[in-house]
Amino acid sequence: MPANRPAPPEPRLTVTRPTRGRLRRALAVALPLPVVGLVLLMASGHLLLPLQKVVTIEAKMASKRDFFEDPEVERLLLKHGFRVRITRMGSREIANQDIKGYDVVFPSGQPAADLITRERAAADRPVTTYRPFVSPIVLATYREYAEALRGNGVARLQRGSGGQSLYYTLDMEKFLALTRGGKTWDGIGIARYGVDNGNKVLAQSSDICESNSGGTYLGLVAFVEHENDAPDTLPEAERLARDIKPLLVEQGLPSAEKAETYLSADGKGISPIAVIYEHQFLAHQIAYEAEHGTPDSERVLLYPSTRIDTEPQLVALTRDGDRLGELITSDLELQHRAMELGFRVRDTRSDATSVQLKEFLGERDIPAPVTSADDTKAVLPRLPLLERMIQIVGDCPPAEGAE
Amino acid sequence: MRGRIPLLTVCTLLVATLLSACTDDGDGGGERVRLRVLASPDLAVLAPLLDELADATGVELDLDRRPDAETRLAAARTGYDLAWLSSDRYLRLRDRESVHGLQRTPTMTSPVVIGLALDTARALRADVPGGHLTWADIADAAATGTVRFGMADPRNAGSGLAALVGVATAAAGTGAALRTEDVSCDRLRGFRSGQTLTAATSPDLVDSYAAHQDRADALIAYESDLLALNASGRLKEKLEIVRPEDGTVLSDFPILLLDPSRRAAYDKVTEWLRRDDVQERIMRDTRRRPVSATVTRDAPLRAPIGNALYFPDRLAVVERLLADYGDPDRRTAGQVVFLLDFSGSMRGARMAALREAFAGLSGADSSSTGKFTRFYQGERLTVVRFGGRVLEERTITVTGPGDLRELTDTVARGGYGDATAVWSALDHGYRTAAHALAADPDRPLSVVLMTDGENNAGLSYAQFVRRYEALPDAARDVSTYPVHFGEADTAALQRAAAKTGGRMVDADDSSLSEAFKEIRGCH
Repeated sequence: MPANRPAPPEPRLTVTRPTRGRLRRALAVALPLPVVGLVLLMASGHLLLPLQKVVTIEAKMASKRDFFEDPEVERLLLKHGFRVRITRMGSREIANQDIKGYDVVFPSGQPAADLITRERAAADRPVTTYRPFVSPIVLATYREYAEALRGNGVARLQRGSGGQSLYYTLDMEKFLALTRGGKTWDGIGIARYGVDNGNKVLAQSSDICESNSGGTYLGLVAFVEHENDAPDTLPEAERLARDIKPLLVEQGLPSAEKAETYLSADGKGISPIAVIYEHQFLAHQIAYEAEHGTPDSERVLLYPSTRIDTEPQLVALTRDGDRLGELITSDLELQHRAMELGFRVRDTRSDATSVQLKEFLGERDIPAPVTSADDTKAVLPRLPLLERMIQIVGDCPPAEGAE
Repeated sequence: MRGRIPLLTVCTLLVATLLSACTDDGDGGGERVRLRVLASPDLAVLAPLLDELADATGVELDLDRRPDAETRLAAARTGYDLAWLSSDRYLRLRDRESVHGLQRTPTMTSPVVIGLALDTARALRADVPGGHLTWADIADAAATGTVRFGMADPRNAGSGLAALVGVATAAAGTGAALRTEDVSCDRLRGFRSGQTLTAATSPDLVDSYAAHQDRADALIAYESDLLALNASGRLKEKLEIVRPEDGTVLSDFPILLLDPSRRAAYDKVTEWLRRDDVQERIMRDTRRRPVSATVTRDAPLRAPIGNALYFPDRLAVVERLLADYGDPDRRTAGQVVFLLDFSGSMRGARMAALREAFAGLSGADSSSTGKFTRFYQGERLTVVRFGGRVLEERTITVTGPGDLRELTDTVARGGYGDATAVWSALDHGYRTAAHALAADPDRPLSVVLMTDGENNAGLSYAQFVRRYEALPDAARDVSTYPVHFGEADTAALQRAAAKTGGRMVDADDSSLSEAFKEIRGCH
């Protein structure tokens, strides 16, 4: 996911500016000349009547800019009179920094959204949140690594619908035991699969202090290491955080953009197991299939045996923000596009969302992941406890509004 | 005049707008914005692209290239709108508060690798099964004088820091990010003994190498610099690019937005730089790897980069490495005084273990950590054999295999004592140290005391301490690292270590070889 993508061609005429009246008048006179241009714009679906007002939404978001920066989403939003200007930062950062001047913030998960909604509620300025989709946390890796884990009885291949499966189920407990035991990839015999790597077996996550995926992975590890239970009290949470800290800090200085690093051409060397969101992986497979006609069978997913879903929340801070929130949770075209970008869309009118995604992948001969309702689902500790654990594990400064 | 814009102008403008449709962001038409950019010297190669950037976006970047750009703290960055560096890792560690939360956009990547003269590469490969070279192999070859390399000063240059961390991580051999305890002893002396060229920045290093090709046969730098140098025609012989298997560090040349009020211009610049066609241009001009996964890479940039090591997240670790690295112009070879117990109880298996340990340190240990901790060029080594008294003392300076043979011969010789005079031997070691320091005060020195029994002859511990206290300051600063073996007196050895600022290691926990390796480079 490039952090900055070139914007799609847009009709610049329509930007609200003091000159608009003048332009409108001029346009009427000049119409015969640019008519070819207008026709082209109409054909590409970019047409906006010069009279329609385009609102620029100021937004802060983390990984979910993948959705808002998609050219098709940009086009659809423009059709509804929105342009979104995104300031990028990690989800926990979004909650920590001033949100004045923004119309919406879109942290990638519930904890950061809760920090914001609580703070606003305390200040007697409650906000509405919109939850257009969910996406599980996954460990994205490469075939050799998944196979090495499988050879050690730590992962098993999912038998799914058609094609070479891209999905494995990872026994989190055994996986974390490898890290705790100081095992390296060479040490677990990855050479048999044609790779040499003297690094320790662990999953690299984004910065725990800044990102939702990092904090959520911490919550997942804590849950697994605490016998499938989230800690309930502060002393319990603190003890557990100290206990799991070694499992999470041995990756050293985290790189900023885990998915981008993993999906880059050098990903196998620099980020062989990365904690990312399912939608980021699926979006890659969908794009790869569109270009090559077959899925990328080198890049595969490890689904933790203990699952954890994330629920990004669009927090509307202004009336325009609310309109945007309404739109993305109700507009069928946008919801369909979200699915095409690998999201599990929340649809209030039916519960067939996973089915739709599965069908969509199936039509493209991309194997679909099998998730069972029987999987253990991890729950995050209560917010103040999670916050405390994040501070201990990442040596992070305290977040605003956690108490 | 309001509203009376000539028709033709309007028409022309409209057509132009509709046809181009994607360059102007609508905030001021052709108005040019000029941004001051704190840039690392590695960005010089992008200069030709900046005019195009200005034409396309209306933003002029005024690159102020500073050798210390990558280590400048917040106060020294005032007056700049952006920073464009090869790496912001040092700032993320040193200046965490002020760089975190800044808008950050990677623009291209390049790993730190090593370029080897063809003969050198061939010679190194011949010794390595499979021919895949590692940093450990480079360190090993540097220690024997087979490789003489150039590397930029890690205190300024991102490439130097990445190389230093890469080598140190490989030396620690844990497979994890370096911790403070991994760098408490300096394991890179052997590696550094092979450094013959340095410079403050990567471009200066490249120039220096081109000008002094007789002084080095290897260059540690960004892959992009080596590819460019090979293509420049400035080399008598091209360098073979080796990407060490055990530790790639990749830099991603980020642009940071220092002044948030320049956000609009920053967005235009970064969007433009990440367009596929521009990424392709950057790849051609700089030989750096595109960040866009959809750009087809030129052949040399398709080579796998090896495994990225886990970069440390503790400032103390990096500062310790930099302090040990010191001034690369300064001599770094040290001296070790080995006091070895040759009492009767060492006969047999224990003596075999001691000889094996010395053979390992002389180059026979082919493990990765062995290659880093071996004796190296220029190092001085003193071996003192003792029983109830000092039996023999020999000092050599390593210049080649012959010197090391002399050392192993000394250790291999028989002649055992019938008692164990631990404290007399240590006292002797400090006299030797005092003499050595008087003659050569800049050479770092440490004492290693290996014994397998309790003191039963010569000085008592209290007598040793009295004599130690009376030594000149420089000699008193020398630390002793006792190696506990067999029936040695743990408490007494720990006391001696604590007294002199050293640390005891127990060979019974691992092996004599491992124990010696563990304290190599401690001082």
